[in-house]
Amino acid sequence: MTGVLAPLPVLLPLLGAAGTLLVGRHPAVQRVLSVVVLIAVLSVSVVLLLRADALGATAVSVGGWPVPLGIVLVVDRLSALMLVVASAVALGVLVFAVGQGATDGSEQTPLSVFHPTFLVLVAGVSNAFLAGDLFNLYVGFEILLMASYVLLTLGGTAPRIRGGITYVVVSLMSSLVFLAAIGLVYAATGTVNLAQLAVRLGELPAGTQVLLQSMLLVAFCIKAAVFPLSAWLPDSYPTAPAPVTAVFAGLLTKVGVYAIIRTQTLLFPGGALDTVLMCAALATMLIGILGAIAQTDIRRILSFTLVSHIGYMVFGIGLATSAGLAGAIFYVAHHIAIQTTLFLVAGLVERQGGSTAVDRLGGLAKASPLLAVLFFVPAMNLAGIPPFSGFIGKLGLLRAGVAEGSPLALVLVAGGVVTSLLTLIAVARVWTRAFWRPRTQQPGRDTARAAASDAGPDTPDGEVTDGNGSAPVLVGQSARRAARQAAWVRHTQVATASEADDDRAEERDDDDEVHPLPGVMLATTGALVALTVALTVIAGPLYGLASRAADDLRERTPYLESVADVAVLR
Amino acid sequence: MTPTIVLPVIIGGLYAAGVYLLLDRSLTRVLLGFLLLGNATNLLLLSVGGPGGLAPILGYAEAEEMSDPLPQALILTAIVITFGVAAFMLAMIHRSWRLVNEENVGTDEEDRRVAARSDTDADELDPDDLAPEDRPAGHADSLRIRAGAVRGIPSDDVDLPSASAR
Amino acid sequence: MTALLLLHLIAALGAPLLVRWWGRAAFLVLALVPGAALAWLLVQLSVVLAGGVVEETTSWIPALDLAVTLRLDALSLTIAALVTGVGALVLLYCARYVGRDEEGTARFAACLTGFAGAMLGLVLADDLLLLYVFWELTTVLSFLLIGGDGARLAGRRAATQALVLTTAGGLAMLVGLLLLGQASGSWLLSEVVADPGTGPAVTAGMLLVLAGAVTKSALVPFHFWLPAAMEAPTPVSAYLHAAAMVKAGIYLVARLAPGLAEVPGWRPVLIGLGLATMLVGGWRALRQTDLKLLLAFGTVSQLGFLMVLLGGGSRELAAAGLAMTCAHALFKSTLFLSVGVIDHATGTRDLRRVSGLGRQLPALAVIATAAAASMAGLPPLLGFVGKEAAFAALWDGGLPDRTTAALVLAGLVLGSTFTVAYSARFLWGAFARKPGTPPAEVAHPPGPLFLTAPAVLALAGLVAGPASPALEPLVAGYADTLPLLAPEPEQLGLWHGWQPALLLSAVTLLGGLGLFAVRARVSRVQERLAVGASADEGYWNVLQGLDRLAVLVTGTTQRGSLPAYLGTILVVLLALPGTLLVTRAPWPAEWRAWDTPAQALVGAVMLIAAALALRIRQRLSAVLVVGITGYGLALLFALQGAPDLALTQFLVETLTLVVFVLVLRKLPKDIAERHRGRERAARGAIAVAVGALMGVIGAVAMAVRTATPVSVDYPEEAYEYGGGQNVVNVTLVDIRAWDTLGEISLLVVAATGVASLVFLRHRTGGVDRAEDLQLRPDGVSPRRAPRRRWLAATATLDPQRRSVVLEVITRLLFHSILVFSLYLLFSGHNEPGGGFAGGLVAGLALVLRYLAGGRYELGEAARVAPGLLLGSGLLVAGGSGAAGLLAGEDVLQSAILQVTLPVLGDVKLVTSLFFDMGVYLIVVGLVLDVLRSLGAELDRQDDEDDPIGLQPGEVVVR
Repeated sequence: MTGVLAPLPVLLPLLGAAGTLLVGRHPAVQRVLSVVVLIAVLSVSVVLLLRADALGATAVSVGGWPVPLGIVLVVDRLSALMLVVASAVALGVLVFAVGQGATDGSEQTPLSVFHPTFLVLVAGVSNAFLAGDLFNLYVGFEILLMASYVLLTLGGTAPRIRGGITYVVVSLMSSLVFLAAIGLVYAATGTVNLAQLAVRLGELPAGTQVLLQSMLLVAFCIKAAVFPLSAWLPDSYPTAPAPVTAVFAGLLTKVGVYAIIRTQTLLFPGGALDTVLMCAALATMLIGILGAIAQTDIRRILSFTLVSHIGYMVFGIGLATSAGLAGAIFYVAHHIAIQTTLFLVAGLVERQGGSTAVDRLGGLAKASPLLAVLFFVPAMNLAGIPPFSGFIGKLGLLRAGVAEGSPLALVLVAGGVVTSLLTLIAVARVWTRAFWRPRTQQPGRDTARAAASDAGPDTPDGEVTDGNGSAPVLVGQSARRAARQAAWVRHTQVATASEADDDRAEERDDDDEVHPLPGVMLATTGALVALTVALTVIAGPLYGLASRAADDLRERTPYLESVADVAVLR
Repeated sequence: MTPTIVLPVIIGGLYAAGVYLLLDRSLTRVLLGFLLLGNATNLLLLSVGGPGGLAPILGYAEAEEMSDPLPQALILTAIVITFGVAAFMLAMIHRSWRLVNEENVGTDEEDRRVAARSDTDADELDPDDLAPEDRPAGHADSLRIRAGAVRGIPSDDVDLPSASAR
Repeated sequence: MTALLLLHLIAALGAPLLVRWWGRAAFLVLALVPGAALAWLLVQLSVVLAGGVVEETTSWIPALDLAVTLRLDALSLTIAALVTGVGALVLLYCARYVGRDEEGTARFAACLTGFAGAMLGLVLADDLLLLYVFWELTTVLSFLLIGGDGARLAGRRAATQALVLTTAGGLAMLVGLLLLGQASGSWLLSEVVADPGTGPAVTAGMLLVLAGAVTKSALVPFHFWLPAAMEAPTPVSAYLHAAAMVKAGIYLVARLAPGLAEVPGWRPVLIGLGLATMLVGGWRALRQTDLKLLLAFGTVSQLGFLMVLLGGGSRELAAAGLAMTCAHALFKSTLFLSVGVIDHATGTRDLRRVSGLGRQLPALAVIATAAAASMAGLPPLLGFVGKEAAFAALWDGGLPDRTTAALVLAGLVLGSTFTVAYSARFLWGAFARKPGTPPAEVAHPPGPLFLTAPAVLALAGLVAGPASPALEPLVAGYADTLPLLAPEPEQLGLWHGWQPALLLSAVTLLGGLGLFAVRARVSRVQERLAVGASADEGYWNVLQGLDRLAVLVTGTTQRGSLPAYLGTILVVLLALPGTLLVTRAPWPAEWRAWDTPAQALVGAVMLIAAALALRIRQRLSAVLVVGITGYGLALLFALQGAPDLALTQFLVETLTLVVFVLVLRKLPKDIAERHRGRERAARGAIAVAVGALMGVIGAVAMAVRTATPVSVDYPEEAYEYGGGQNVVNVTLVDIRAWDTLGEISLLVVAATGVASLVFLRHRTGGVDRAEDLQLRPDGVSPRRAPRRRWLAATATLDPQRRSVVLEVITRLLFHSILVFSLYLLFSGHNEPGGGFAGGLVAGLALVLRYLAGGRYELGEAARVAPGLLLGSGLLVAGGSGAAGLLAGEDVLQSAILQVTLPVLGDVKLVTSLFFDMGVYLIVVGLVLDVLRSLGAELDRQDDEDDPIGLQPGEVVVR
C-alpha cells in the first residue's frame, strides 16, 4: 500500500507538469489539471501520514532493486508530516495564483510557464522529503531550485532579474558544496544510501566524521538561510509575485531545515557540532529580527522574520534532545503555514493599498475590515501570541531549552524570548501604520498638521497668568518646536525619497476609495488563515505526532530497520 | 584507498580559478567561474571513485577490472544539471543586458536605503517631538499652564478624546 | 467553567452580528454573558465557603502539560465575582455610552466581551501555562481596545506602548513559569504553590514572574502606560484599567504569595515597588485637571497599595488586601463610569470647565460621592474597612521585620493622605461650583439605564462596609493559607473599638483634607518639583535606540551585494570545514603520483587554460579557454575508464559553447574591469584557500575508506535484472532511474525558464516558416546567392552570410547525424551512448541546421513546438515509471521482453528503453528550446530593433 503511494507525491506532479506542457495553449485546462493533481497529492500524503503514524516508517526501493543498490524512498512520521503540510500549502497557493491569474490575465504570471514549473517545484519538494538516498536528496534540491529560479524571474522585470541573480548564484554555490560533500561522503564510505551511511559513517574516525558533517551542514544552512549564510534571502524573495514569494517562504527554506534535521539525527547522532548550531541559531534569531525592525516594507519585514524564526528551529535541532526536536518539528509545520499565509496577505494588501511600503499605506482596517482580520490573526500567530500555534511551538522550544538547562541553552531561551518580543513590535508597527493610521497621517503628509500643532501650544503663552511658571515653559516649547519641525522635515524627506519607486501607489495615494479584492484570493487566504488557527485546535495530536517523530529520530532504529536490517547495511 | 597527487592538484587549481571568477561583478565571469567549479566538482566525484580502470561495460571488461560505475552515473547526472542551469543563467544574462544594458551583479538599493535610514516614524517619535495633543497623558515634562486655566492649577493633562467629541 | 469560557468566546464572535441587528442594544444581551458567569459563581459560593474547590480539566496538549485546568477556590471566586459583576455592569453601561449606530461598535463589543472571557479564564486557570495564555489574551485585547479605530496618533502610541510593555513582562513571566514548573516538577498552580521547590531556579523564576505582574499592574517604573491608556473610551478604562486587567498582577501575586513569599527577594521587590508606586501615583493624581487622568493616577497609587498588602505574605495583610481589592474594584469603576456620564453630558472632563454639576446631576453626585468616600476610606464604606484592616495589621505584625513594618505603615499613611486629597479634589472638580467659571450646560442628561451601573456599584460598596463581617469567611478562605504574624487574627468589620488604626485613619483624613485646602500652594510646589525626565521618556528612548541598533546591524550584515554574500559563504566554508580539516581530520598516510602520466599532461593544460580564463578580458576567448578545461575533463574521464562520461562531457561542452556564442554575440566584446586592487587581492586569497581546501579534502576523505563500495555488485546485477551490459547506462535508466527522472524534469523546467525569459509573456513563439515570407520575385542584388538551394530556407539569409560549403555539409550530414543519434539511443544499453548522448547529438544536428540556414531553416528542420517534445518526453519517462506501479510492481521497475520478429529474429527489449526515449526527447526539446529562444527569437528581435544595416536582398519579416 505505502509502497504504491510513496512515489506518487513526486510522480503525480511530474505527470501533471507533462500534461500542462502538452495542453500549453489552453490555460483553463492547465488550471484544472494542476489543481486536481495537487488535490490528489494532498490526499495521498494524508494517507501516507496516517499509515506512517500507525505502522511506523516504511521504505520503498525504486525499481525493485535490492537495498542498498538502488534508490529508496522512506516514509516516516517526519517526512509524511512534511509532505502533508507542504502539499496543503502548495494547493492553497496554487488556487490563490489561479484566482490572481483569472483577474490579472497572464500579465503578472504567464500561466503557461507558471503551472508546469509550479508542479515540478512541488515534485522536487516532495522528493527531497522522501529521499532515502543522499544523492537523490541532492537531485530533489536541484529540481526545486531550478523551478524556483524560473518562478522567481517570471515576467523578467528588472528587480526580479536582480533578485533572481543573487538567488540563483547563491543557490548554485550551496549546490556545489552539497555535491562536493556527497563526493566526500562516497569517498569515505562507498555508498550514498542514507541508512547505510548511518551505519558506515559511525565507523569512520571522529575527525573525518565531523569534517563531512560540517560540509553538509554548510550546504544545508545556506538553503535554510541560517546566519551568516542568510543575507541572500531578503534580497531575492520579496521581488517575486505574491504567490511565488509565499510558496518560497513557506517551503523552500524548510526543506533545508528538514535536511538539517535528517542528517544531524540520522547520520551524525554524535552531536559534534551542536554548540555551533546553537550559536548560529542565536545569531539568526536576533540579527534576523533586528533586520525586520529596520525594514519599512511589509514583504521585506516578513522575509526577515522568516530568517529570524529559522533560528528557532535550528535552536531546537541544536538542543539535540527529543523535546527540542519535537519543538523544532512542530515549529516547522507551523512556520510553513504561517509564512505562506502572511505573504499571501501581503499580496492582498498590495492590491488593496497599491503598495507594500508601510509609509505608503494607511487606513486599511477601515477600508477592508476583513483584510484586517486576515492580517491580524496570523500576525499575532507569528509573534507567538497564545493560543496560536506560534506560541505553542515557541513554548515547546523554550521548555526544551529550560529542561536542558545548560548555560548556553538558557542564553538561547533568553534570545528566543527577546526575538519573540521584537517580532511582536515589528508586526504591531505594520498594524498600527498600515491598518490603523489614516492615509492623511502618512509621513510626509503631516507637515500641515504639524504646523497647526506648532501654533497650538504657543498661543496661551501670552495669556499665562503665572509668571514664574511660564518662563521655563516657553523655553521648553521653543526647543521642542525646533525638534519637532526637524522631525517632520525628516519624514517629508524620507517620504519623497521613497516616492519614486512605485507610481501605482502614487496615483492611489490620493483616493481612499476601496479597491475590491477578488473573491478567490480572499477565500484562499481565509482558508489558509483558518488552517493556521486549526493548528491550535489540533495542537494536541499534532504535537504528539511531532514528539513521536522526534523520538524516532533520536532512536534511528525505526528508520534503519525500515530500509533493511543493519547487517545488510554494513 | 590511496589518493593520487595529480588529481587533487587539478581539482584545487580549478576550484581556485572558479572561485576567483565567481567573485567578479561581471555576470559572464560569474558564470564562467560556476562552470569551472562544476568541472572541478565533477573531477572530485570522479577521483573519489578510486583508481581508474576499464570501461564498466560487460563483455568489454571483467567486473573486477572496471572503474567504479556509480560515481560515473552521479557525474553524468551532475553534468546535465549543470548544462541546464548554465543555459538558464545565460538567458538571465541576456535578459539583464536587454533591460539595463549591463550584465553586472547589481546592488540591492533597498538594502542601502535601509542602511542609510536615520528617520523615526511619527508613531515612534520621542514624545517631546510630538504635537501637544499627541503627547501621552502624564508625560511629565509636558507640564504646562493652559489658556483659561483656573489660577494655579498646573496639569500634565493632554486632551483625551471625549465622548461627545467622538 | 469551560462552558462559561466558551460562552464568552461565542458571544465575542457573535457580537458583530448582534450589533448589526440591534445596534447598541446588543450590549444588553452581551451583558447577560458575564452575568450568567456571576450567577454560576454565586451558586458555587456555598461549596467554596465550606473550604471546597471546584475543578475541571480538559486535555489540550498533553506533550507540553498544557491542559485547560480550571480551579475555583476562595481567591479566584472573589476576583472572578468582581470581574464578571463589573463586566456585566460595564456592558450594560455601554448600551447607553456608545452612540447610536456609531462606527466601530461591532469591533468594540466583540473585544470587550472577549476580554471579559479572557479575564475570567485568567483567574480560573490552574495550569501555569494556561494562565499565561489568558494573560496574553488580555494584553492583546487591551491593545485593540485602547487603539480603537486607530485614527488618533496618541491612541496608537498608547496602545503599542501598553502592548510592548505588558508583553515584555509577560514573556519574562513565561520563562519564570517554565523555571518554576521545572523546579517544582508540577505544572499546576495549586501544586506549585503547595511545594515550589528550592534553589536558584525558584528564585530566578519568582523574580521573572514578578516582572510580569509588575508590568501588568502598572507598578513603578512601568506605571506610565496606564495613564496613557486613558485614550481608550471610558468603559474600557473602568473595566480594564480599574477593575479587571490591572488586577491580574495583583491576583497573580496573591495567588503565589502562600508559596513564594518566603523566597528571598519577594518582599523587598513587591513592598518597595508597591510603596513607591502608591506615593508617586498619589502625588501625580493631585495635579491632574482631567478627571479621568486624576482617577488613572489614583488607580496607579491604589495598585501600589494593594501590591504591598498582598505581597506582604502574612495572613492579616492578605485579608486586608483582599478586602481592599474588592473595595477598589467597586469604587474605582463607579468613579470612572461617573466621569463617563459627565463627559457624555457636558462634553468635557476638564475640572476647570465643569462647574456646578452637583446641582444639575444630583443623582450622579450622590453616587460619585459615595464611591469617592469609599476611596478616601470614610466609614462606613468598604474602603474604610480595608484600609483600617491594613493599618491594624501593620501596627502589630503584618511583616516579619518590625522596623520594615513601621516604615511601610508610615508610607501607607502618607499614601492614604494623598488618596484622601485627590478624592476630595475629584469631588470638588466634578461637582463643586467654581468661582469665575460659568456652570457647565448639560447637553443631554443621563437616563436611568445610563446611571444603573454606577449606582449598583456604589451601592455595593456602601452595603459591603457594614456587611463586611459577612465577607470574612470568603476572605479568610484565602488568607488562612498564609502564616499569621500578628498575635491574633482580626476580623473584618467597621468597629474594632478605640485602637491605633482608627487614629491613623483620622490622621489620613485630616491630612488629606488639609492638603486639598491648600491646593494652590501644593500645586506651586509641584510645579517647582516637576522633573523634566520621566519613565515614559525612557521607554521611547529605548525604542529609538532599538531602531538605531537595528539599522546599524542590518546595514552591516545586509550589504546588498552578491560578491559579499558569496565571500561570506566561502569564508564560513574555510572557517568550519577548513579548520576541522587542519585540526581534526586524519590525513592520508601515503600518496601516489597518478594513475597514468597522461593525467598530469591533461591536467597541466587544463590548469593553464583556467589561469588564462582569469586574465582574458575578451568574452569569447574567455569562454573558449574555459571550454578547453571542459574538453580536458572529458579526456580525464576517458583516461579514468568512463567512456559514457567522456562522450557526454564532450557533447555538453560543445553545446554550452554554442549557447554561449548565441548570447554573447549580443554583448560587448570585452568585460570591463571594475575591481580595485584590494578587492582582487581578497578574492585571490579566498580563491587560493578554497582551492587548497577542496583539493586536499577529497584525498583526506578517500584515504579513510575501508568499506567496499556498493557498486561492486552493479555489473552482474545490471546484467541480471537490468538486461544491459553498459553498467553506467543501466545505472542511469534503471538502478538510479529515479535520479534521472528528477534530472530530466529539471531539464524541462530549465528549457521552460529560458523560453520564459526570452518570450516573457508566453511559453514560446510561433515557428518561423520559410513559406511565411514573400521573397522578392527576383533578387536584383548583383552578388546573388547560388540558384541551387541546398537548404530549405537559406534564401532568407543575406547572401554575404551564406556559405555554400556549410550548406552542403549540413545537407549531407544532417540526416546521418540524426540516424547516429538514434543508434546511440538504442545501443546505449549495451555500449556507450544512451538517451542523453543521443539527444545531445540530435540537438547538435539542429544547431548545424540553424547555423547554416538561420532561424527559418531551424523552423523548417523542427516544425514541432519544443513544449510538446518536453511534455511528451516527460510523459513517456514518468509514464514508464507509473507503468511499474500499475503492473503491481515497484515504481520504475523494468521488465525484459523477448520477442521473435519475422525478419529480425529474436529481439531482446528492456522496458527501460522507453524511459531512455523520454530522456532523448527531453534533451532534444531542450536544445530546440534554447535555439528557438536564444537563437531564433534574438535574431527576430534584432531584425525588429534595427532594420538599419540590412543588406539589399535580405528580407525582413514583420
